[in-house]
Amino acid sequence: MTIITRRHFIGGSAAVGAGLITGGMPRFANAQAGEITVTAFGGVWEEAVRTCFAAPFEAKTKAKANVSLGGPPQWLAQVEAESANPPVDVLIMTPDLALTAAKADLVDDFTVEKLPNLAKIPQELTDSVMGKGTIFDYGVGGITFHKERVENAPKSFAEFVDRVADGEFVASVPSISYAVTPIMLIWAMANALGGGVNNVDPFFDAMAKMKDNLVFWAGPNDFFNHLSSGEAELGIYFDGRTWNHYDSGATWIDFLNPEEGGALNGVAVQKPKNADPLAWDYINEVLDAENQTKFADIMNYGVTNTDVVYSEKLKPRITPWQKTAFPPYEQIAEVRNEWVDRWNREIGR
Amino acid sequence: MMSETVQTAIPARRSQPLRPILMAGPAVLFLVVFFVWPLLDNGMRSFSTGDGGFTFSRYVSLLTDSFYLRVTAETVSLSAGVTVISVLIGYPVAYFLVRKSGRWAGVIIFLLIAPLLTSIIMRTFGWQVLFARRGLVNNLLVDHLGILSAPLRLTNSPEIAVAALVHVLVPFMVLSISTVLQGVDIRLEESAKILGAGRFRTFWEVTLPLSLDGIGTGAILVFMIANGSFVTLVLLGGGLQTLPLMIYQQFNTTRDFGMASAMSTILLVIAVFCLFLQLRLVRRRGA
Repeated sequence: MTIITRRHFIGGSAAVGAGLITGGMPRFANAQAGEITVTAFGGVWEEAVRTCFAAPFEAKTKAKANVSLGGPPQWLAQVEAESANPPVDVLIMTPDLALTAAKADLVDDFTVEKLPNLAKIPQELTDSVMGKGTIFDYGVGGITFHKERVENAPKSFAEFVDRVADGEFVASVPSISYAVTPIMLIWAMANALGGGVNNVDPFFDAMAKMKDNLVFWAGPNDFFNHLSSGEAELGIYFDGRTWNHYDSGATWIDFLNPEEGGALNGVAVQKPKNADPLAWDYINEVLDAENQTKFADIMNYGVTNTDVVYSEKLKPRITPWQKTAFPPYEQIAEVRNEWVDRWNREIGR
Repeated sequence: MMSETVQTAIPARRSQPLRPILMAGPAVLFLVVFFVWPLLDNGMRSFSTGDGGFTFSRYVSLLTDSFYLRVTAETVSLSAGVTVISVLIGYPVAYFLVRKSGRWAGVIIFLLIAPLLTSIIMRTFGWQVLFARRGLVNNLLVDHLGILSAPLRLTNSPEIAVAALVHVLVPFMVLSISTVLQGVDIRLEESAKILGAGRFRTFWEVTLPLSLDGIGTGAILVFMIANGSFVTLVLLGGGLQTLPLMIYQQFNTTRDFGMASAMSTILLVIAVFCLFLQLRLVRRRGA
């Protein structure tokens, strides 16, 4: 039988400690060579970020951009927890969380001195996140439908509500667990039906009318499954994801921007305070016209550099941001939790 | 040989085996760092106001607001319902597996375990594909058999969520019960029959009491997993509002981490309380 003595224990611990220290050395050496951690959503987003932003950044700076996958709530929580030494150097955020980060003074101001390409981004998109970041990419939350099952698709939110309430279709809409539902559904529909950020009664009235003919999607792929499996015929969804499904072979899918304007769902880029200064170089690449053009081609989403010229394939698909309904993100952030609570009590899904 | 000589030369005090408490040190440290400390941190956050103060308000809401009470009740009743259905389905399967399956036992165990090798998301999507409005079942009933004039709304309902959870969790129940049933001496059942007991009485007074430990273990496993289930309810829940879904919402939509912490504490207390009750019940019945 092997008897473990104090000497074995101490010796083993020392070996483990030495291993950990030497294992940590390469990381230290990499950090000295220039290495930042940037963020991306999973799937095609990751591929686009690596190809369109990380690669040109690495080519120009000879530094490395590690891509951390996840979502804005997680990244913001990480930066909040370690603001003196943030674990990520570049954030991509939904506008409401970008505002949360800005108000908490967790992120740096964006200026043309630090980011020359910022001059090509419309000022409204930078102002919308208090100048502590800017929107570089956006989708529109509109009406996506199954062409073979929906003839003469609703052209507006009002028509959508009436026809779903009448039982002509079953609609799939985002559930309240989806982070941007307060913007892309509650505010957008309330705004289209005569309400606004201070009056969302029209939205809740519309949901009550439609309740027997609604299903709820928890994530974007869930929506696609609803349409492809026949659980729903149409719903509220993003333009870019719709075209991604189309390009992947689901040629039965189509999208329209409602007459009242679908909500602009922007993606903001931000730099946490105390993050590596190399992050500025990376963000400048994110705002570059050529890189954004490539990004739009992969993602099927609109981008914000005014020099971008979309390809012939993309032109009919992209809704200019001026033709969307621009949400008052800051005001929405103030009342979002009340809306969520009301949703829980009245809709419950 | 050399090492033996050296060991003999070392004073006895230095070559003593580590004391048990020191041996347990790494495990205790692991539990403290990855279990006790996060739990304490979570508990403290649930009492903390944004500016570092102390508040009971979240627990007051959770324990007095009718909405949150309904959510808590729904969480417990869902878990209890899934557990009961799993026992009702799992016991006969386990009994058949142990007593009747013979050389088919391996195949049955494989069939039981095989679904566990598939991602829970894929299994859940499978339910959507089968029971969608234009899915396999509705197409059969409406288009092929003509029994219905319009498709049924089967998915996005509490019933389908319960069915999907039972589908996922029944193997745990079967395996727990069959392990204990295998240890039940079949001669006891034969003795009862020789003494005049019928098949039902033999089962009720001999087999079932002796297999209560298996039911208890399976019930605890199933209840705990159902209590924290998330993916199935997100994808198929259709109106069910449970604490795990609300916790996710607090993190993902409202970013109210304090409320999420309070909800998770309540969920933990419920789980521990039910575990305690089930253990008491099993021990009393077993005795």
